Amino acid sequence: MATDLRISNISKIYPGCIANDNVTLQFKSGKIYALLGENGAGKSTLVKILSGVISPDNGEVFLNEKNLKLSSPLDAKKNKIGMVFQHFNLFETLSVFENLSIDATEDNKSLRVRINEIFKKYNFSIDLDVPVLNLSAGQKQKVEIIRCLLRSPKVLIMDEPTSVLTEQETEELFISLKKFCDEGILIIYITHKLKEVLSLCDEVAVMRKGKVVSVSQTQNEKVETLANKMVGQKLAKIKKKINISKNKDEIFKVKHLNFYSDDPFETNLVNLNFSVKKGECLGIAGISGNGQNELFQILSGEIITPDTSIIFRNKEIAKLNPKQRREYLMAFSPEDRISQAAVPELKIYENVALNNFKSSNFFEKGLVNERKIKEHSKKILSDFSVNTDNVELKSQFLSGGNLQKLILGRELITAPELLICYNPTWGLDVGAINYIHETLIKINDQEKSTILISTDTEELLKLSDRIAVIYKGKLSKIMPSEEVTPEKLGVLMGGGSID
Amino acid sequence: MMYQWHYIFFTPFIAIILTILGGGIIFYILGFNPIEALKFYFITPISNLYGLSELLLKATPLCLIAIGLSFCFKSNNWNIGAEGQLTFGAIVGGGVALLFYNQEGFYILPLVILAGAIGGMIFALIPATLKTYFNTNEILVSLMLVYVSKLLLDYLVVGPWSNPEGFNFPETRQFSDSSRMPLLFEGLRIHAGIFLALAAVMLSWFILYKTYLGFQIKVSGLSLKTAKYAGFKGKTMILVVFMISGACAGLAGVGEITGPIGQLHRMISPDYGFTAIIVAFLGRLNPFGIIFASLVVALTYLGAETAQIFLQIPKYTGQVFQGMILFFLLASDYLLFFKVKILNLKKNELRH
Repeated sequence: MATDLRISNISKIYPGCIANDNVTLQFKSGKIYALLGENGAGKSTLVKILSGVISPDNGEVFLNEKNLKLSSPLDAKKNKIGMVFQHFNLFETLSVFENLSIDATEDNKSLRVRINEIFKKYNFSIDLDVPVLNLSAGQKQKVEIIRCLLRSPKVLIMDEPTSVLTEQETEELFISLKKFCDEGILIIYITHKLKEVLSLCDEVAVMRKGKVVSVSQTQNEKVETLANKMVGQKLAKIKKKINISKNKDEIFKVKHLNFYSDDPFETNLVNLNFSVKKGECLGIAGISGNGQNELFQILSGEIITPDTSIIFRNKEIAKLNPKQRREYLMAFSPEDRISQAAVPELKIYENVALNNFKSSNFFEKGLVNERKIKEHSKKILSDFSVNTDNVELKSQFLSGGNLQKLILGRELITAPELLICYNPTWGLDVGAINYIHETLIKINDQEKSTILISTDTEELLKLSDRIAVIYKGKLSKIMPSEEVTPEKLGVLMGGGSID
Repeated sequence: MMYQWHYIFFTPFIAIILTILGGGIIFYILGFNPIEALKFYFITPISNLYGLSELLLKATPLCLIAIGLSFCFKSNNWNIGAEGQLTFGAIVGGGVALLFYNQEGFYILPLVILAGAIGGMIFALIPATLKTYFNTNEILVSLMLVYVSKLLLDYLVVGPWSNPEGFNFPETRQFSDSSRMPLLFEGLRIHAGIFLALAAVMLSWFILYKTYLGFQIKVSGLSLKTAKYAGFKGKTMILVVFMISGACAGLAGVGEITGPIGQLHRMISPDYGFTAIIVAFLGRLNPFGIIFASLVVALTYLGAETAQIFLQIPKYTGQVFQGMILFFLLASDYLLFFKVKILNLKKNELRH
């Protein structure tokens, strides 16, 4: 039976922001629909409404003309709406089968039979009895998908499914999704990656600032037309000129970086050696979870590893903590803005004081010099165009983009010789991303160096002078970025090798 | 969610009101007139000068310990063993006082007080050191050390330190007058220790809000990851906050034995060290909030004693009230941020 899902006049208002403004959309089975939009466009809110996590202030959802009252995720399940979230909801230490049986209503034996049927039908192969933590991101996602399929869903919603996948895994996913679609499952695919929309989906709805701004057939669209609809304005293209830096000094040199951990959630690092030249951006690509976290913490001094040598501006700094490394003019921008780089409960100026270095005089003789910190914070807010000038504001009221500007500003205003950043544009909208990319390029233009650890290949290709790939704690050889293509990176990130 | 943080200053009042209501219900069930009983509990004890003095006397150690604990709790260090630090501080301070039992001199009291603070500090350094260098859990270590110090005190007062003229009572000699806290008023037990508590309040406010140490404590309490990223010396900070906390508890202990008690015996503290945990949280870990909270909780001690006399109910009802305060505080903190929703689940859906 054909499925018809209709969203009618959905509105959801949060204090200070209209997340969904009278959204009306119609989906029919047999097609793959894309829901496209920037961060904050309202996609996630809409998805949460469809999956019963939040209820709308207004409006209704109809499945085959039946008005659904979705007041909890259970209601969504009952009505055969399946969701695969961007972040997996799996118990890492339980086996695949145990994870699937938590949700099941039948006994283990018949469940196993049903899972194997699904495996055969869609050509999946996963060992059911290994713990989930041993699986790759792509396999974990398959487990999530199987969990939905076990409930024979009518609607399958995928939220940014490819953000953690390699190119190859993405292709496999697309093949499966097309199969599901042929079997009559209605698929809603949420993304902000334009190319995926064009290669996978049949129809695309673009959201901007809580409203649906266009619904169209993908065959009539191009990357540029979709981008303009999504952003609502023409974006200036930025392109970095590659630094030809053959004869420049090496400012930062890492030797024999090894890291071993008993924790199954951490990745061991195996003999990393690399160096960064003056004015250069070294990009480190990789799928998240391949050792980037550990690498960042070792480079910043949060983790001290024995027998590692880190030379920075001709000094051995491997044993220094982050504060001491800052004194030598290093700066750090971690991936986790909300619980590491800044504390949301602290005021802006208090967060600025976290980057405390000798010449700042933030703390004199152990006392807080509030006036000095506030002056300094004001300068950061205006120099880095953060959209407030109130240094007393709690940081939790800043949007992701503005918080990241504040953090980068705090790190950069000391004019560091080397900035190490990890996913600096993670989760930001196009405007903020552009600003941050421009800032990072400017640093290199001023002959300062950067190490950019990122899971976004496009970003790496745009900003790096040389690129290496980290896979399972090992670093590939470092390549000049003009020799690197997205395909090459994809192969290396997936553990393959290139000549 | 964003503007609800203001409420955290209201919940202590909600908790106190609920505790009084809860107490009324308990008295009613026990067959008393609840209004009458509550009056005996909360009004009678402080309706005369002597009562007020007793209130301040009991609030002094609670306030001192809670101030120290606030340093630990604010920085995510869970020192549960203030009672042990209090006892050990009293042992060391008391030991010094006993050395001078037959001497006079203005220098003796400061020496005794200092010894008490150092004693508490050293005893707090045990869980702190084990935590920093061996990764032990400070909750367990500090809690278990309470019993160590209590048994040590027991041993001392029946054994080597017992009063030679004391007919084998488990107690030491009386301290000399030079080892006693000066009384503030003739005929009342309130003593100069209260100034130590007030000084601790002022000093802690200054340290927590105006110094680099205070800033580090604040950041570490909110996010340990951020503290690490900022390069704070985590181990040093753990040691420092435990030392501050232990010193305060030690001061409280020495204040008791040189104040109202005047010697060492087994029962130097009615669990002030544990009750101060409630005081610290009821005062929202804020120095001035702690003053207020220590008065409220001290009243439950007094009320219990009055109730024992007038209503013939055990004075352990004081602990019932203290328990209710903590319970209602936690409950109202929790419920303010969540909505209670009753789900109507069918049997097989429970498994989801």
